[in-house]
Amino acid sequence: MKQSISQIKKALKEKKIGVAELYSEYANKAKLNHNNSYNLVLEEDANKSFIERSQDRYSSGEPLPLDGIPLGIKDLFCTKGIKTTASSKILSNFIPQYESFVTQQLLNNGAIFIGKNNCDEFAMGSSNETSHFGPVINPWKSKSSPEDNLVPGGSSGGSAAAVAEGSCVASMGTDTGGSIRQPASLCGIVGLKPTFGSCSRWGVVAFASSLDQAGPLTACVEDAGHILNAINKHDFNDTTSSNHTRDDYVSGIHDKINEKIKIGIPSDYLEGVNQDILNQIENTKKVLSNHEIEFVDVKFKTTEFALSTYYIIAPAEASSNLARYDGIRFGIREDGESLDDIYLNSRTQGFGDEVTRRILIGTYVLSAGYYDAYYRQAQKVRRLIKEDFQRVFKEVDFILTPTTPNEAFKIGDKLDPISMYKNDIYTVPTSLAGLPGISIPSGLSSNGLPLGIQLIGNYFEEKKLLQLAALAEKELAFNE
Amino acid sequence: MSDIDIKRISYLAKLKLPSEKEEFYANSLKDIIKWVDNLKQIDTSEVKPLHNVTENTESIRNDEVEKNNSVEDVLNNAPERANNFFKVPKVVE
Repeated sequence: MKQSISQIKKALKEKKIGVAELYSEYANKAKLNHNNSYNLVLEEDANKSFIERSQDRYSSGEPLPLDGIPLGIKDLFCTKGIKTTASSKILSNFIPQYESFVTQQLLNNGAIFIGKNNCDEFAMGSSNETSHFGPVINPWKSKSSPEDNLVPGGSSGGSAAAVAEGSCVASMGTDTGGSIRQPASLCGIVGLKPTFGSCSRWGVVAFASSLDQAGPLTACVEDAGHILNAINKHDFNDTTSSNHTRDDYVSGIHDKINEKIKIGIPSDYLEGVNQDILNQIENTKKVLSNHEIEFVDVKFKTTEFALSTYYIIAPAEASSNLARYDGIRFGIREDGESLDDIYLNSRTQGFGDEVTRRILIGTYVLSAGYYDAYYRQAQKVRRLIKEDFQRVFKEVDFILTPTTPNEAFKIGDKLDPISMYKNDIYTVPTSLAGLPGISIPSGLSSNGLPLGIQLIGNYFEEKKLLQLAALAEKELAFNE
Repeated sequence: MSDIDIKRISYLAKLKLPSEKEEFYANSLKDIIKWVDNLKQIDTSEVKPLHNVTENTESIRNDEVEKNNSVEDVLNNAPERANNFFKVPKVVE
């Protein structure tokens, strides 16, 4: 099993390993970039002073919470002085002059960055195949055709593959409709999307501002708690950043759960899914039932409308957010006779197919004559989806679903956009409602590939959610 | 659903689709719009649109000037510059 943050910190404290040596172990693996999970691996020189200061803190006996921990960062977070591309041609030369709030918190907590993880272009995709820098390869191979390269999921596919291949201890990802949870599931690791408003979006390249949320991809649930402790803070620079009181997400995470817990399983989610996926739910039920956890059937009224709502709202917000890429102030400029030609040429040549498609969808649903019928209607249905969850959460404490409807598929296999969009059927409703969700690995498919379950909690109840996820992780024993 | 004028939509989005790809995007857009059309069957006459899922948790900061980005840092990312300005082709005759 991979080493957890607690185990690594213990080894560093007991001087069984030094910060520099630990860093090299991971960085050397990252440099090989076997699975194309990095757009950029930092040179050791760039990290030298961070490594030295971290080692000093261990030597003085006062390490910070994430001191010396090598992390991957999705190439969607602005990192000061380090190229940040969103895996797009249009940003392929962009060097931010500031650090995102979330990555600054990680640095403040002593973490050391290995590099920038590949992802779908502007985080738009569910397979990491839309990246300008080529697809990421899932480190897992199937039993039936081990020679095939499989997708890691997306959009945080590079982050998930990097953690799974062991080239970083954890990676920071972002999730708009499933972009942390789905790749975590397909790569056999843990992925947490916190409640919308928990972690600041300041300095994260914007996709859909009412949905985007940063979160960790980790080897175990406890590690997700460690990262969340660092990044879950109020930030005045993000008006949607919530000012609620934050918990300590690690303390007591492995304690026995004393209260009675009721978990809802939405039967409508499970209609027509394959046996491998059903087995994950059945098995989770079985192992948790020994802990006085009660499972009940719950029914949503809005599930069939979630993807439609998402594929109106997310592209609408994206088309607006991506208007800033015009070839004038930053990014790639393609020449033209007039100012308008510069806009047209830079954008047309700078964006890939999927991003272009989503800008077109967004522009259409926001355009005169269609705004009320599509965008406004979707925002209204979004309220119904949120209320649907609130109704269910009056009956239960948590909701259990599969994370994905299928195992990792072959690179190049899903060409039709709608069949790709359907990959996020279980994660999108949670995103629309803004609720926290975590995917943990639950078992292997009959084809030997990892599958995950998703646990959904109520607003800002990440502490309880992580405690339940840690119990489920222990009982499912995927890593043993 | 009326027909989609792909030329108009792409111009609104400041994109110049190559003519051989216009049909590809038009069909794709048509399929997706047809797919999301099921929302029309829901009666939402009494429902307010939802803009921010965690309504009422935002807070607003005081508008105070802080020194963050230097002009030089910002202009370093500009494709073309002249002194302290972004440079673009002439827009006024």
